Amino acid sequence: MPNDLPIRKIIHVDMDAFYASVEQMDFPELKGKPLAVGGSETRGVVSAASYEARKFGVKSAMSGVLAKKLCPELLFVRTRFDRYKEISAKIRKIFNEYTDLVEPLSLDEAYLDVTENKKGNPSASLIAEEIRSRIYKEVGLTASAGISINKFIAKVASDYNKPNGQKTVNPEDVLDFLEALDIRKFYGIGKVTAEKMYQKGIYTGLDLKSKSLEYLQQHFGKSGSYYYHVVRGIHNSEVKPNRIRKSLAAERTFNENLSSEIFMMERLEHIAEEVSRRLKKSKVAGKTVTLKIKYSDFTLQTRSKTLPYFVNDAAIILETAKELLYQEKMTNSVRLLGISLSNLNTEKKTKTKVEKPIDVQLEFKF
Amino acid sequence: MKFIVSSTYLLKQLQVLGGVINSSNTLPILDNFLFDIQQNKLVVSASDLETTMSATLDIESDNEGSVAIPAKLLLDTLKTFPEQPLTFVVEENNTVEISSNHGKYALAYADGNEFPKSVSLEDPSATKMAGHILATAINKTIFAAGNDDLRPVMSGVFFQFSTEGLTFVATDAHKLVKYTREDVTASQTAEFIMPKKPLNLLKGILAASEEDVTIEYNDSNAKFTFENTVLICRLIDGKYPNYEAVIPKENPNKLNIQRTQFLSSVRRVSIFSNKTTHQIRLKIAGAELNISAEDIDYSNKAEERLTCDYQGDDMQIGFNSRFLVEMLNNLTSDDVQLEMSMPNRAGILTPVDGLDAGEQVTMLVMPVMLNS
Repeated sequence: MPNDLPIRKIIHVDMDAFYASVEQMDFPELKGKPLAVGGSETRGVVSAASYEARKFGVKSAMSGVLAKKLCPELLFVRTRFDRYKEISAKIRKIFNEYTDLVEPLSLDEAYLDVTENKKGNPSASLIAEEIRSRIYKEVGLTASAGISINKFIAKVASDYNKPNGQKTVNPEDVLDFLEALDIRKFYGIGKVTAEKMYQKGIYTGLDLKSKSLEYLQQHFGKSGSYYYHVVRGIHNSEVKPNRIRKSLAAERTFNENLSSEIFMMERLEHIAEEVSRRLKKSKVAGKTVTLKIKYSDFTLQTRSKTLPYFVNDAAIILETAKELLYQEKMTNSVRLLGISLSNLNTEKKTKTKVEKPIDVQLEFKF
Repeated sequence: MKFIVSSTYLLKQLQVLGGVINSSNTLPILDNFLFDIQQNKLVVSASDLETTMSATLDIESDNEGSVAIPAKLLLDTLKTFPEQPLTFVVEENNTVEISSNHGKYALAYADGNEFPKSVSLEDPSATKMAGHILATAINKTIFAAGNDDLRPVMSGVFFQFSTEGLTFVATDAHKLVKYTREDVTASQTAEFIMPKKPLNLLKGILAASEEDVTIEYNDSNAKFTFENTVLICRLIDGKYPNYEAVIPKENPNKLNIQRTQFLSSVRRVSIFSNKTTHQIRLKIAGAELNISAEDIDYSNKAEERLTCDYQGDDMQIGFNSRFLVEMLNNLTSDDVQLEMSMPNRAGILTPVDGLDAGEQVTMLVMPVMLNS
């Protein structure tokens, strides 16, 4: 193995169409029907789609209008986050019976490190199977799982036999698996990067592997080194039970597209207040304020500014967002505005602890 | 009332006294010099309420009285005159008229009685020493005094007088200097803490003075008398920390090194140290001293090797380079000795040569705990 560290056993558990499945479970009349959670026929964005809807090409983060066009039968229901959270907590409890090293990515996804597990079961594949069947029995929902030696491969593998399936990539198969993998399936490579890779003749893991570290760094910056290592089966990121929040955001899609900054201002005020409320609830503050603007033609623009101090106050956030809003003329009418705060003070704290030793000037003990 | 005085003679005295006056005063009268005119004598005073300094000048006068004259206006005027006699006439309409060879100048004055009276010391003790010795004592110690308002006692210099000698101590809790003169003694033991401002004034005036200074003191005030000048100041109230307790007694590791060589190496290496901690690292093994610094944030790094005379175990210790530079700079000897015990205990810096008989300097510096 390319890795000097002992081989780890990582499971990535991903609930199948989580929000939609919860709705279908709670309201049996929705079963078997194409369903979209969140958004509406005229406005908003689909948060999740049932498998019936996915057949028509409906995907999460798609606009309601487009989804309805693709699937005229589509039913829209409102999101009920409290219910999803409740179920997510039940699932997490099951995870914790196997290991404490559980890193939740969202309500419906988590990494588990079962190298050493509470059941003393040496087979990660069997554990994954057990967890999935328990989720089905105790919660009533199906889940898929990927099992491998690191988070990256586990995540890719969980998508392999979805829904209600699992895939194990054994240590000896890791390199072959990655070589054969379509570049678009790599976690961390989105549409834009994939296109860039295609232009450079990189279509599969094997193509990616043939490129030198320098080459990748030159063309993809910091991510280049990540790609270089990941395709060689090296991804040492640990399963961190307490995932540190890196950013916090709020956004709003408007009923009508806005073309004047004056109307946006009012909306921005509400969004700033919402972000501030969330920051205060999580007891964090951030330095970087990012304004997200989605135009009526769906092009996305972000503008950000880093302040010299941490803020969570609505007035300061609004002030900064306003500045960003007026920074440049709008190119089109706007359908969505969002504000996010990153560079949070939670990040810094742990970073300085781990990376930078603090030297202490000693004093006389008078 | 009128008097005649030499312009440069007056200016010289006023410039010294001017150091007492604060740049912004809550009491407007403190922006003035007090002129107390006696028979052929003029006593000029300046005050900031804590410190009052007076100088006595010989003049020609026809009467007695006292007036407060705006300090800045007067100093600015006097600075422009070449040496010449000036005639001051105190008019009834609250102006002082100065006549020079060039013309006439009128300044508004306030009644001298409005000027705060300086305190008189009740049953003081007294000690006498050469002016330059006091100046040296101040010079050696004052840089180590702190600026922390929360610990006012450490913002001054501790005077410790006894029949065996005089000791002056200053510390800001990171560095400490103890300066002892065994060749000067007091008639009885006394301890008091002098604030920095009057000491800085005295340091300047007494630097080259061969004349004696008489120091009188009680629990609340101290009075310094020399030549034609008197300085009275309020002492810092409080108990000085027990500094003797923090001087390590057992220091098995002794480093002897040429001072200027050590100083210039520390200076150079410190340029590469972290801009907030100014931390440098000393590694000593055998006869080699390795000085290094690193600023991780900017990837700056420096390292120098010096030969030294070292007795003790190999050791590694971190210091704030600014403290070392200040201390090495303050010493005048050719060689210095740095005694150490542990990387978390104070290092003791002493001069090896160049001391007067009965003179002792001990400098302490607390290390920076190294993390790696």
